[in-house]
Amino acid sequence: MSTILSLTLNGRPRTDLVASNLLLVDYLRDVAGLAGTKQGCDGGECGCCTVLIDDEPQHACLTLAARCGGRRVETIEGIGTPGRLSQLQRAFHEKLGAQCGFCTPGMIMAAEALLRRNRHPDEAAIRAALSGNLCRCTGYVKIIEAVRTAAEGG
Amino acid sequence: MIALYEPAVGRRLPLIDGIEKVTGRAAYTADLRAQALVGRILRSPYAHAELLGVDVTAARALPGVVAVITGEDCDKPFGVLPITMNEFPLARGRVRYRGEPVAAVAAVDAETAERALALIQLKVKELPAYFSAETARAPDAVLLHDGRPGNLLREVHDEFGDVDAGFAAADIVREARYRCAEVVHGQMEPHAALAEYDTERQRLTLHSVTQVPYYVHLMLAHCLGLEESRIRVVKPFVGGGFGARVEPLNFEIIAALLARAALGTVRLDLTREETFLTHRGRPETEIRVKLGMTRQGRLTAAACEVVQRGGAYASYGVITILYAGALLHALYDIPAVKYDGYRVYTNTPPCGAMRGHGSVDARHAFECLLDAIAAELGLDPFEVRRANLLKTPMQTANGIIVNSYGLPECLARVEKASGWRQRKGHLPSGRGLGMACSHYVSGAGKPIHRTGEPHAVVELRLDFDGAVTILTGAADIGQGSSTILAQAVAEVVGADLGRLRVIAADSAVTPKDNGSYSSRVTYMVGNAAIDAARQLRDILVAGAAHRLGVQPERIERVGENFRAIGSNDDGLSFRDTAAGALAQGGSITVKGTFTVPVEYQGGKHRGGAVGSTMALSYSAQVVEVEVDIDTGMVRVEKVWVAHDCGRAINPLAVEAQVQGSVWMGMAQALGEETRYDHGLPLHVSLLNYGIPTIVESPPIEVHIVECLDPNGPFGAKEASEGSLAGFLPAVTNAVADAIGLRFCDLPLTPDRILEALARRQRDSRIAAARGAAS
Amino acid sequence: MTALPPFELIRATSLAEVVAARRSHPGCRLLAGGSDLIANLRRGLSDPPALVDITGLPGMQEIAAEANGVRIGAGVTLSRLVDDPLIRRYFPALVYAITTIAGPAHRTSATLGGNLCLDTRCIFYNQSDWWRHSNGFCLKYRGTVCHTAPTGHRCHAAYSGDTAPVLLVLGARAELGGGEGRRSIALNELFRDDGAAHLTLGSDEMLLSVWIPIDSGLVAGYEKMRFRGAIDFPLAGVAVSLRRKDDILADLRIALTGTNSRPLLVSGCEALVGRPVDAAALQQIGKLVQKQVSPMRTTLAPAQYRRRVGSALACRLTGRLFAAAAESPFSA
Repeated sequence: MSTILSLTLNGRPRTDLVASNLLLVDYLRDVAGLAGTKQGCDGGECGCCTVLIDDEPQHACLTLAARCGGRRVETIEGIGTPGRLSQLQRAFHEKLGAQCGFCTPGMIMAAEALLRRNRHPDEAAIRAALSGNLCRCTGYVKIIEAVRTAAEGG
Repeated sequence: MIALYEPAVGRRLPLIDGIEKVTGRAAYTADLRAQALVGRILRSPYAHAELLGVDVTAARALPGVVAVITGEDCDKPFGVLPITMNEFPLARGRVRYRGEPVAAVAAVDAETAERALALIQLKVKELPAYFSAETARAPDAVLLHDGRPGNLLREVHDEFGDVDAGFAAADIVREARYRCAEVVHGQMEPHAALAEYDTERQRLTLHSVTQVPYYVHLMLAHCLGLEESRIRVVKPFVGGGFGARVEPLNFEIIAALLARAALGTVRLDLTREETFLTHRGRPETEIRVKLGMTRQGRLTAAACEVVQRGGAYASYGVITILYAGALLHALYDIPAVKYDGYRVYTNTPPCGAMRGHGSVDARHAFECLLDAIAAELGLDPFEVRRANLLKTPMQTANGIIVNSYGLPECLARVEKASGWRQRKGHLPSGRGLGMACSHYVSGAGKPIHRTGEPHAVVELRLDFDGAVTILTGAADIGQGSSTILAQAVAEVVGADLGRLRVIAADSAVTPKDNGSYSSRVTYMVGNAAIDAARQLRDILVAGAAHRLGVQPERIERVGENFRAIGSNDDGLSFRDTAAGALAQGGSITVKGTFTVPVEYQGGKHRGGAVGSTMALSYSAQVVEVEVDIDTGMVRVEKVWVAHDCGRAINPLAVEAQVQGSVWMGMAQALGEETRYDHGLPLHVSLLNYGIPTIVESPPIEVHIVECLDPNGPFGAKEASEGSLAGFLPAVTNAVADAIGLRFCDLPLTPDRILEALARRQRDSRIAAARGAAS
Repeated sequence: MTALPPFELIRATSLAEVVAARRSHPGCRLLAGGSDLIANLRRGLSDPPALVDITGLPGMQEIAAEANGVRIGAGVTLSRLVDDPLIRRYFPALVYAITTIAGPAHRTSATLGGNLCLDTRCIFYNQSDWWRHSNGFCLKYRGTVCHTAPTGHRCHAAYSGDTAPVLLVLGARAELGGGEGRRSIALNELFRDDGAAHLTLGSDEMLLSVWIPIDSGLVAGYEKMRFRGAIDFPLAGVAVSLRRKDDILADLRIALTGTNSRPLLVSGCEALVGRPVDAAALQQIGKLVQKQVSPMRTTLAPAQYRRRVGSALACRLTGRLFAAAAESPFSA
């Protein structure tokens, strides 16, 4: 019960044979070797595994890899150019929007999805866009500041 | 020597490992690549039972299963405190909570491991189980542990000063009972361990999510019967801790046992549910407080009784119950304080240490009652605090020395910032303001293991490349300890931060450290880092002086360069200076240490070591709320918090830590609680255990108060825990201001608020009817 | 690595293929967005031999004006609905309800059909296999007892979809399809009050689309109670639609979610028609709701709270909508 999966992963086409029941999060971490996408819960409750599929934020832990054929999947590893942080990444770094860093990849991907749709979100829009991503360290104060900084810089 | 370079201390710097975190390159334990077997744990479905047999025959026979282990495989109990090691990695003889590990499997893949678990048969005789402190303490209750009558792990009875006389001297004496639900850390990273056993050499390497690699190291050696020299413990990036990982945990030892049994490498990634089951959170606590006060607001005496439902094993229980009493002191000047504490064994997952360890729930009760008495006397809550300030330096009745005390300034800052004087009492109905204070230790004065070694060691290495490598055992778990140590070393050595590299928490490389708990790292390891950095600086200065032909005192710094005072040239570069020093004997290694002087290691009374510290942080906060009386929902509009952390080595990181701790206090105060159905935890997902989202999280305005501590590194103190406890009473007092109801039970969930509002309405109707009838 | 149970993934491109797949794979499950089903599979709440991907069926992705209403394919994602100009213009209450569902990354995959057919929920059911095994399983799956009412004979798991109550008060209809062809029913008939079998669909039937009438005189709104500002399912969610004529209520419909095993269309609302919305009327509405909801111990929040707050929200929302209706339609 396997499928041939051809997708664009962080801008590069790739093809793998995947089992029908393989979750995208496990495909990314174990097959593609991209461990930046984290698993913080037992399915759909924390947002740590948020990735972009065709520019939209989705839970890699609730997505079957086999259903991503022909789609553009982006993970934290695909954000920014090699060797240079994106504005969002820089803002999360410099404003201390990341403490332990475990929620950070998902948080940045959710924020990235927001900024692609809305270059200048207000605070309510930032809160709404990150509402499915839990963080236990920051109280979110500096996360909001980071996203706002990135938005203002763009 | 005169320094002219840009200081590293006091700068708002991002974390030195932040780039890895925002790019996804930071490798946490579950991210480490390895050819590993998959480990899984079989957990007890029973709350309390004699374990008569664990039949693993069928599981062992399943193709793809490499090892199956049970309690038979380890007869050494472990625990964080040497005096109360009473937990087995896998249960032996008895299971004491639902979710306790009973057996474990290593297999070629997850599916096989899970099928193997399903084949293991347990034979048990169920025993009566106790899910509350009250039922466990009943005279006829079955004992969870032999020799612990009343199922008490520890009781504490302390009295300092004459409490009876204090109450007799008071104009008003009030007493109330408070109840705080059990809460857990909820760090975003689930537990995980990767154990590699080298069978040929009989060596073990464990990567784990721990805050205390050294304690894990000791317990691995103990439980596996290996000498410590054959073990290496590495802490990779860790996704938060908050106390969940300040002790060796069963899964770490199980991973090691499995790896040895499987003759290889085993990955043990726990689910979120299992992470909840491993627990070690803040216990459900009942607090009875009694305070005496004069009409002017001066406290005359305090008495406090605390009962903690501690769960099935000891963990940090002895310390937790002692902390609750010890930290009644050192915030205010109270002439007499009595404390009675009871730590109870129950058939629930073991509680442990959680941010603000031991102090939080008792502080909540104290500050709530203080607010209620102030209201009754018509005194302003700020004035009541000011009437009871410590006169420092001083030593408390229980032996804590307080040298630096920024509470007065904290009070002034939040009073002004929140507009308290203009706004309190003038807000629209349903809105309210509340305030409270709190404090916390900067590192426990007495270490758990009394080995005679220094309490902290840092090594610095300077080599041909001109890089300064900081070697520390301190575990950065996201709080930023590696960044703070780098700033401290950069400051003292006068080196650019780019020249520094921190290598942390790998027992093969770094010096032992007791770990990241009790907010000890900045204070203790920071002081050790300064000690090491001074030595390195002196070597460099001496080298430069030699090259320049002047006395070391005649060397000044221009940026990183060393130059003779009075000369106008660029002086010697850091590289050249280092090269000169290296020419004397090659690679330079220095070691700095720090040990808490004995007078700071606590009072002489039994348990007096707990609460002892060299310095305390102080905090005051004001919380503004809006209460929706239709739904009972409490919305926090804003928090103003002032935190005295002594010198803020990194003000950005201090703000972040204070915001995080206040917010965690909010989570406990308003929503979070564990729930059990006959000992079966209902809350074990991130849906049922409602960690607040960004939507309802308020703005938190942080005011840093720098009341320098004479012994702290650059005058620094604790910044990560002290502001948590204050939020609970501050919000409870704000709700009282908003709707006129004083709540004694936490969390203040909407159902509790609505129930209380309905009760009040009912009562007033009845009263009105009675009034009409009479 | 998480081990999902093994299954075959079948991509259906027509209703006939779905019917055939269901015949050849008894026990298979239909897969749309997967945000509910995959989460449940991860907890071992089902062990299907196959998942049938229905998102490629004709019409499943359509939003179209039709017969003085709007037809929405069951496979349209929630995030697309929120962005759709037609939906935003005519059904702002639905748009608002959708923004309260889970989080943004759920709504990009979750579909309208999936939200309507959402599995019922209970703290004794939405747990891991180890957990349910330790508790002797439950009536809804692999067990015989409902732990919320052990002496009863039915499952009380709560229906928790947020779109259903809004669609009910808007008078939506559901189009179903199966081996016997297609049929259209009032949305209310899609549900029954049994937590273990809350949908009335035939064994080979599926939801194809929803049709919502455009009614310019109707104002509607939704209020959802949950402890957190996002992610959580409703403890009680209330939708109200009403028509106001001068100072009189000309029409009133109230529906709730989160309190029963089905979305509950409150009966008896017609008694309020022809009256102003005053304190007495609101009190009567509060009582109607209190009497008809039957929350059980399916959530950590107490049942009594869900009853109270459902009633309070119904009153508050009705009052608010009635006031808003004086100003302009569609304003809620």
